[in-house]
Amino acid sequence: MPGLFTLGGPRRIRFHQRVQLWGIGFVLPTILFFAVFKFGPMLWAVGLSFMSYDMMSAPTFIGLDNYRNLVADPVFRASLFNTLVYIGGSTSLITLVGLGLAVAIKTRVPGARYYMVGMFLTNLIPIIVVCLIWRFLLHPHGLMTQLLHPFGIQRVDWLTNSSLALPAIIFVTVWRFAPYFMVVFLAGLLAIPEDYYEAARLDGANAVSRFWHITLPLLAPTIFFVVVVSALLSARIFLMPYFMTGGGPGNATRVLSMLIFETGFSYLKMGQAAAISVVLFAIMLVFTFAQMRLFERGELKSVG
Amino acid sequence: MSPSGKRSASFARLKLRSRGWLGSLLLAALAFGFVVPILWMLTTSFQAGDRMYELSTVWIPSAWHFENYSNALSRSPFSQYFLNSGIVAIAVMVSNVVFCTIAGYGLAKFRFPGDRYVLLVILATLMLPLEVTLVPTFLVIHGFGWLNTYQGLAGPFLIDAFGVFLMRQSMLSIPADYIEAARMDGAGELRILLQIIVPQCLPALAVLAVFSFRDNWDQFLWPLTVVSQDEFRTFPLGLVRFAEDYGSPPTEQLAIAVLATIPTVLLFVVLQRAVNRGFGLSGLK
Amino acid sequence: MTDDKSSKPESKTGNFSRRDVLSITAAGALAAATAPISRIASAQAKKPINISFWTFENPQQRPWVHKRVNMFMEKNPNVKVDFQYFAFGDLGKKVSVGFATGTAPDGFVSQDWFMPTWQAKGLLAPLDVQRLGYSSLKTFTDDFAPAFVAGAVQKGKAYGYPLWFYGYVNYLNTKQFKEVGLDAAKDWPKTWDQLGEVAKRLTIKEGNKFTRQGFKFAMHTAAWTMFQFNAILHQCGGAWFDKAGKCTINNAAGLKAMTIRASIAKQYGAEDPADSIATGPLPQMDWLKERASMFFCHPIPPAAIESQNPKMLSEGYFRPVQYPGVQAGKGYTTTYGFNLVVNARAAKEKQEALQDMYKFMMSDLGDAWKDTAPFPPARKSGWADKPEVKKFPYVDEIIIARDRGVALPQTVVYNELGDAVHKGIQQIMLNNADIQKTLNEIAAEVDRATAAFKPT
Repeated sequence: MPGLFTLGGPRRIRFHQRVQLWGIGFVLPTILFFAVFKFGPMLWAVGLSFMSYDMMSAPTFIGLDNYRNLVADPVFRASLFNTLVYIGGSTSLITLVGLGLAVAIKTRVPGARYYMVGMFLTNLIPIIVVCLIWRFLLHPHGLMTQLLHPFGIQRVDWLTNSSLALPAIIFVTVWRFAPYFMVVFLAGLLAIPEDYYEAARLDGANAVSRFWHITLPLLAPTIFFVVVVSALLSARIFLMPYFMTGGGPGNATRVLSMLIFETGFSYLKMGQAAAISVVLFAIMLVFTFAQMRLFERGELKSVG
Repeated sequence: MSPSGKRSASFARLKLRSRGWLGSLLLAALAFGFVVPILWMLTTSFQAGDRMYELSTVWIPSAWHFENYSNALSRSPFSQYFLNSGIVAIAVMVSNVVFCTIAGYGLAKFRFPGDRYVLLVILATLMLPLEVTLVPTFLVIHGFGWLNTYQGLAGPFLIDAFGVFLMRQSMLSIPADYIEAARMDGAGELRILLQIIVPQCLPALAVLAVFSFRDNWDQFLWPLTVVSQDEFRTFPLGLVRFAEDYGSPPTEQLAIAVLATIPTVLLFVVLQRAVNRGFGLSGLK
Repeated sequence: MTDDKSSKPESKTGNFSRRDVLSITAAGALAAATAPISRIASAQAKKPINISFWTFENPQQRPWVHKRVNMFMEKNPNVKVDFQYFAFGDLGKKVSVGFATGTAPDGFVSQDWFMPTWQAKGLLAPLDVQRLGYSSLKTFTDDFAPAFVAGAVQKGKAYGYPLWFYGYVNYLNTKQFKEVGLDAAKDWPKTWDQLGEVAKRLTIKEGNKFTRQGFKFAMHTAAWTMFQFNAILHQCGGAWFDKAGKCTINNAAGLKAMTIRASIAKQYGAEDPADSIATGPLPQMDWLKERASMFFCHPIPPAAIESQNPKMLSEGYFRPVQYPGVQAGKGYTTTYGFNLVVNARAAKEKQEALQDMYKFMMSDLGDAWKDTAPFPPARKSGWADKPEVKKFPYVDEIIIARDRGVALPQTVVYNELGDAVHKGIQQIMLNNADIQKTLNEIAAEVDRATAAFKPT
């Protein structure tokens, strides 16, 4: 019926355009916000990284000098190294411990739910409180050392020995974040249909092989997600070393975010600080690309 | 069933149950390990001030020093600091709940030119946390004249990319028919959002609210950068100064730490059922 | 009452004790008697002035400054002062960022080692010495110790009104001296070797746990690291910089100084650099809690001792003595102090009001002594001859330390220098790093900072 068609056509288009406009309107505030608080500042940081700027006089263009200074600066090299070690250490341990705990909880032993809630508490404590508690517990003669007394160890310089300090901070990080990712893993585990396990059991597969052949492959997207997210979290670490060790001893626990803050707000070298930001950005870029591919594939059902 | 078969079945059950108890015990020990530092904080916050300096751990104080709490609160303007942290965290939480919901809806249920890239652009901000953009973000806030203001403290966190993504994901599964039907009935887009979409994604909203509050209640680096007036210090700044201060007793530092932990735990307890569903844990009994 | 009363905060409006109220009333009565009525009337009709003012945290000094500011506001109802304070190590950084962003206070208490940084960029307003009550710049400079005025007066103009000025002294626990058969009055360490020997005798260890450290160097902040090491470096004939501005901490004198700094732990085993009772905070607490027998510190007010260890104060088993020297009798310390300064960008009437406030703050140094003793004011006149000063226990030691002391380096890269030295000392003490190599690293780091600094 041509009459109906000509009547309905333009109206339907107008309707769709209107709906489309609503969609754009819903997304627009977020885009504008990120333009002002994320992309604008990042472009600014890239620009600043080629400048010498103390915020008092106008910035002057100095080309790649800031980057050259970074390459020559042992403090920067140490901070970069520490940041990478920290990301690697805490990401792998968070993933392993989180997964282990989730598998344990999923066995539904009596009381599992309560144990989960108890562990999850570590995730609800303000970071500054985490730092405060652990600075006391990691005193050379504090509770952590006292736990080792039965093994004849009387003293451990957890935070003041340069080879122990970073591992100690990684340990605290795992304590704080592993239970959170335990919950993410648990959600992933619960999404695996029970039938698969039943079938495997009938085929005579034992627990270990069930884990290898069913759990791991099906959990792969979640594992990938946890790795990426905890890596992004670790790359941002600031308060733990700032408060617990002040970046010391020496530069043993100095990380890039601390160096950015120091360079910018103690020494007023905003250009140099921006150059360090660009390096930290590059690190995060790697993980974010990985993450975006994951999101794009839409393999992820539950995130928190 | 023969008597012997019955016996062997109940024996297997018993074996299974005892293995369950063993696992439970192991898991309990593990969970206890995680909780020990928190218990230590609680009990030590009631210890006598000098007890700490002996560097031994006593789990039950011989006398409970409740005055640690009132002393700590009166030594430094912590009520103001807590209020500031609360204002910032609640403002950010409300803003996230509102804007992540509408942006998530826009991304999940609308098609418009470039919609696919919008999601990528939003997710790309995950690699631009404040630690990376600290210097220019400071300059932006300074340019707005927002140093030493609540809007300066909350500003950079008002919308979180992860929140947008979370809301979008939770809305994807809502059938498009519902929305179309409502549109045909002449419902406005905002009404559809409020009456049809939001009730469907309450668990995700609860997750968003809890974690948005948690992440912003204990802000440290950003306040450290933009605040130079006591009136706007957040409690972590206050606590750090208190801890580095001349002789504020460790027990009182821990008293403040206990108080600072309460709001997040309370919020979590209140929203716990919804959060569990938001995480996809409803299957766990 | 074991509580530290003095560290209780005052409310913003100022909770005056009865004594304060009396003294304000008395001051008011005096002003009314001496000033013509018309002047008071005109003062009340003056247009309102809002001033921001920052200082550093200290449980005795900050409340006194606040009290004087409040009293000044009472007397000048048109002036409103926004009073803010920061941790000792944060003040300078906060002021720098404030200057950079136009949010610096109109006036503040500047730690003297930051004066070159401010002056290199023209950030401070010259003071009107006549407004401060001096007839000329000469009478102004004559009223302060030369070492201190050097930082405050530049090119014939005063940029800072010196507030307090003092040096570190060695605080001894005399009871613990007696316990090990030493007489603190006679046997106090006069050389660094003696410091090590005496500290070793005072040390008590259970296995590798120190129950008592004979002596304790501060390890917690760059500021304290600098105060304590600066004097050792000078005593060894060293210097931070040569004439060309190159860092010379890694020369032979620097090596000697750092070897001395490390010897108490490494050679004598009389301190544990990693062990402080409350981990982060002031190591001064170790001495106050009698877990360390000797400690280099600024003058410690009785209230601070009472708050942590009332018995130590009431039984008086402590005393300050001079720093050890490389040679006996030649020991001296680091001195430093605080200037009241005015932001060059503050409006004219604010600058004037601030200077009036500074003059008022400094008009009753007896009051300053009463609240903050034994922190000695920088001014020569108006307090030292008062009986309450003269009878204060060991006040002579504190004055001698101040008068013999050496200043901190005057450099525009002070923050960088302090951080580099602090990290270096951690490397040496906690990581067993080679001293010469570490000093080379410190010097290189400081030189890089100097090269990057571009004065405007």
